[in-house]
Parts: sequence; structure tokens; C-alpha cells
Amino acid sequence: MEKIDNNKISSWWLLVPTSFLYIITFFIPLITLLVMSFSRFESSVTTVGFYLDNYEKILTDGITLKIFFQTVELSLMITLFCLLLGYPVAMLMRRVGPKARLWILLLVVSPLLTSIIVRNVAWVLILGRSGMINDLLISWGLISKPLPLMYNAFGVVLAVVHVYLSFMVLPLFAALSSINNSLEEAAASLGAKPLSIFFNVTLPLSLPGIMAGCTLVFILSMGVYLTPVIMGGNFVVTLPMLIEDAVRNRYNWPEASAMALLLLVAIGIMIVISSSIQKWVKS
Amino acid sequence: MGKKLMSNLEGYRSLWPRRILVIFSSLVLFFLTAPLVILIIQSFTNESYLSFPPPTYGTRWYTEVIYSEDWQNATFLSLTIAIIVTPLSLVLGTLVAFGLERGPKKGKQTIQAIMISPMVLPHIVLGLGLFKIALQFNISDSLWAFVPAHLTITIPFVIVTVGASLQTFNISLEEAARSLGASKFWAVWYITLPIISPGLIAGAIFSFIISFDEFIITFFLATFQRTLPLEMFSTLMYQVKPSIAAVSALTLAITAILTVVLMFRGQVVGGGKIIK
Repeated sequence: MEKIDNNKISSWWLLVPTSFLYIITFFIPLITLLVMSFSRFESSVTTVGFYLDNYEKILTDGITLKIFFQTVELSLMITLFCLLLGYPVAMLMRRVGPKARLWILLLVVSPLLTSIIVRNVAWVLILGRSGMINDLLISWGLISKPLPLMYNAFGVVLAVVHVYLSFMVLPLFAALSSINNSLEEAAASLGAKPLSIFFNVTLPLSLPGIMAGCTLVFILSMGVYLTPVIMGGNFVVTLPMLIEDAVRNRYNWPEASAMALLLLVAIGIMIVISSSIQKWVKS
Repeated sequence: MGKKLMSNLEGYRSLWPRRILVIFSSLVLFFLTAPLVILIIQSFTNESYLSFPPPTYGTRWYTEVIYSEDWQNATFLSLTIAIIVTPLSLVLGTLVAFGLERGPKKGKQTIQAIMISPMVLPHIVLGLGLFKIALQFNISDSLWAFVPAHLTITIPFVIVTVGASLQTFNISLEEAARSLGASKFWAVWYITLPIISPGLIAGAIFSFIISFDEFIITFFLATFQRTLPLEMFSTLMYQVKPSIAAVSALTLAITAILTVVLMFRGQVVGGGKIIK
């Protein structure tokens, strides 16, 4: 039987100030949203109670659900591109010497130290109607009218991938560098072909990193507001934009809360899927 | 047999031929960094519009931005919030990291998961909830709302970075100091903190930059006040002018300088304390 040390228990007093803050700034707000989502909103008056109006409206009005699935689709696309761009970089980081690895790591992490809005501004200056690419292509006479590079899904995906790629590379690198080289060499010595080694040894062993990176990027992409607004104009609508509109323009707290809960449920499902895939692979 | 083995190993090594990996990765790293370089170049235009490459160079827009009252106010507000948030977040997060590391092993993981959970909550959801609470307390649009809101998202990063440093810290060093008569507080102050300073510095840098960069939560909470990201956003929505490039480049410089300064100072302070 484990004896619980009183001296150790007393260390938990150190958690009190932050817990107190979290209760006010984290738990109460979340509970409030949960309660609000079951409230009724009628002619600008909110009645607290247990009504399913908001959820019914979200699921049946045909628009909210469609935008929700668009947001999921966009987030999956962003996650996929982050994985495709990030995996080779993580592979290279594993192969090179410590000095080169540090430099690559620095370049990968550096965007995390620069403001998201600054990075979005940079993309507006590059992809905009009179941005760098269109400017150059027109002056070289390759096109006569500016190409639509932003205010569409392409611009949004590109800019969000740029913002979140670092979050993919870091867990991938952690997972890849924990694989023992001799496992791959053993497979090779037993006659496995290079491609089959990659798909049967390297890739499965790096799966925890892949799942961690994908889950993280998917969660972040589902909740991103700023980049779709800047890069998509009004042409790409996502769930966070609907939430913002419901509260700030229509003062409809119950509906906004229900949409926020929908977002959380989607994220919860993603976490469950990724952890069950990991368990399934382990067994 | 031996020959076949060698050729297989060779084949494995050349599966992701280094050259292809290097070229592809260079392109990805270029994609990550080039936009910021292009932004900085464009910000030095002397024209009234943005173009690449700029026909003439100059610091015209920097002058305009620096003397503009709107930008001054926004920068001042953002810096004020970040300067209040960073030390508070560092202290609160470090306390939690110590509490978790030194507390009972039982239940540690669950409590740690709860303490860093604001990290995975989308900011749009947190902002929505905080806005409601701030309205109830009648404190929206003030530092009383901005600071606790920012703390909620910065503290988890301090818990993670300081926690990671603490895990590799050898506690017998602290116990040695105590056996020589140091009180618990001074043992931690003179021995533990200098040794885990990389974690503390990383936590402080993250706190500052996250607070300085925070958009959506502040966007909900603010009605008339504008932080730098809010001011940039409203300008950007109105018109893409060279001034926005100049402000972006300045923001970039602020975060870069602070990162370097914090790293340098941290090293100096940490080193000094160990010698003491």
C-alpha cells in the first residue's frame, strides 16, 4: 500500500493561485457557454432553461451544418498539407548532423516567434490582387488579368499551413528521432525493399508523432478565425466566423454558445479517433 | 549473401535520397521564411502603394507609423498588457510546475492535464465565454479583463517549459544546499532556479509573444480599446497600405529583439547566480 507523504501533498498548495484564476477565467466561462447553449433566444430576450432550440436550429437550418462540414474539410486539408510538407523536413532533421539539425530547428520554430497577423499580412502582400506574384507576372507579360490567389480556399489553406506547419514538424521530429536506426537496418538485412521498409517500419513507428501532429494542427485549424477572415474575405465562411457574427452582430448568445459546443464536440471526436488509432496500432 | 545484404542496406539508405530530401526541405523552409523577408523589403517603399520590388526605397512609412497617434496608443496598450502578463504568468506557471513535480505521483497526470487544458481549447470558444463573464462583471474593454484572459492562455506554456526543465533537474543539488543550512526558499532561489533558467526563459518568451500576438479573445473583450493586432486588423480590412507593412516589420523587430535580449540576459543572470 502506497503511503501518501504529507510533505508531498502540501506541494499542491502551489497550484492554488492558478486554480483560482482558472475557475474564473476558464471553468465558469465554459459552464456558462454550456448553460447558454440550452437557453432560449426570442425577440432579443434570453430565457435560461433546458431548451433544444439552438441545437435544433443548427442541425436543421441547412446552412450552419454545411458551413461546419466546410470547416472540417478545410481543417483536414490543412492538416494533410502540413503532414506532407512537414514529414520530409522531420526526416531530414533526423538524418543530418547536430549542427545542421539546430539550424533547421531554428528555421522551423522561428515562425512561432512572429505574430500570426504579421504572417497573414505578408501573404496578402504576396498573393493579393496587386500583390507580388500578380505584379511580377503582369510585368513579365505572362498574364493580363490578376490571378485570384486569395479570397478563396486556396489562399486560406496556404496561409494557415504556413502558420501551423511548425506544430506538425516538432512532434514528427520527436517521434522519428526516437526510432532506433538498427530496426530499419535489420529489416534491410533481412531483404526488405526500401519502400517496404519505409511503409512497414519507419512510417508505423512514427505514427504516434503523426497522430500528435495531425490532432494538434486539426484542433488549431478548426478554431482559427483571423486567417480565414483576412485571406478568405467573405468568400470562405467557417464556423468560428459564424460564432463571432452571432454574438457581435446579432447578440444571440444561445446560438453562438451552441455553435461553440458543436466545435468542441468535433474536436473531442478527433481526439477520440486519434487515440483509438494509436491504441489499435499498438496492439 | 553478404553482397545482397550490402545492396539492400545501400538501397534503404538511398530510399529517401538525401539530395531530394534536402531540396524538398529547403523549399519548405523557404516557404516558411520568405514571406517575412518579402514583407520587410516591401515595408521600405517610398511610394504611396505597395509593389515588389519597390521602385524607390526609403523610411517614409516608418516615420508615418511612428508619429501616428493610433499606432502609438495600440503599441502602448499591447506592451502594457504583455509586460503585466509575462511576470505574472511566469510566477503562477512556475508555482504550478513545482507543485506538480514535487507533489505526489498519484493523480499527477490528471491534474497536469487539467492545468494545461486551456492550451487545447480553441481561443474563439474561450474568448466567447470570457466575454460573457466580463460583461457580467462589467469589466470588458479594460486591463482587468485583458490581463486575466491572456494569463489563462500563457500559463500552460510556462507549466510545460518549466516542467520539462524541472524533470531533468537533479534534486540532490537542492538537498545539498538545504543540508548546509539554506532554507527551502533560498535553496530554490539560488540553486534550482538558475539551473532551470532555460525553461524559465522559454516560458517568459512564450508568454510575452502569445500575449503580444493574441487576437480573437481581445477582439471579443475590447469595444473601444485597441491592441496592436486589433489595430492592424481593422486597418487591413479597410485598406492594404504600406503603413501596415511597416507596422508588421516593427512588430517583428520588437519580438525578435525581446527574444534575443531575454535569452542573453537569462544566460547572464543564471550564470551570475551559480557563481554566487
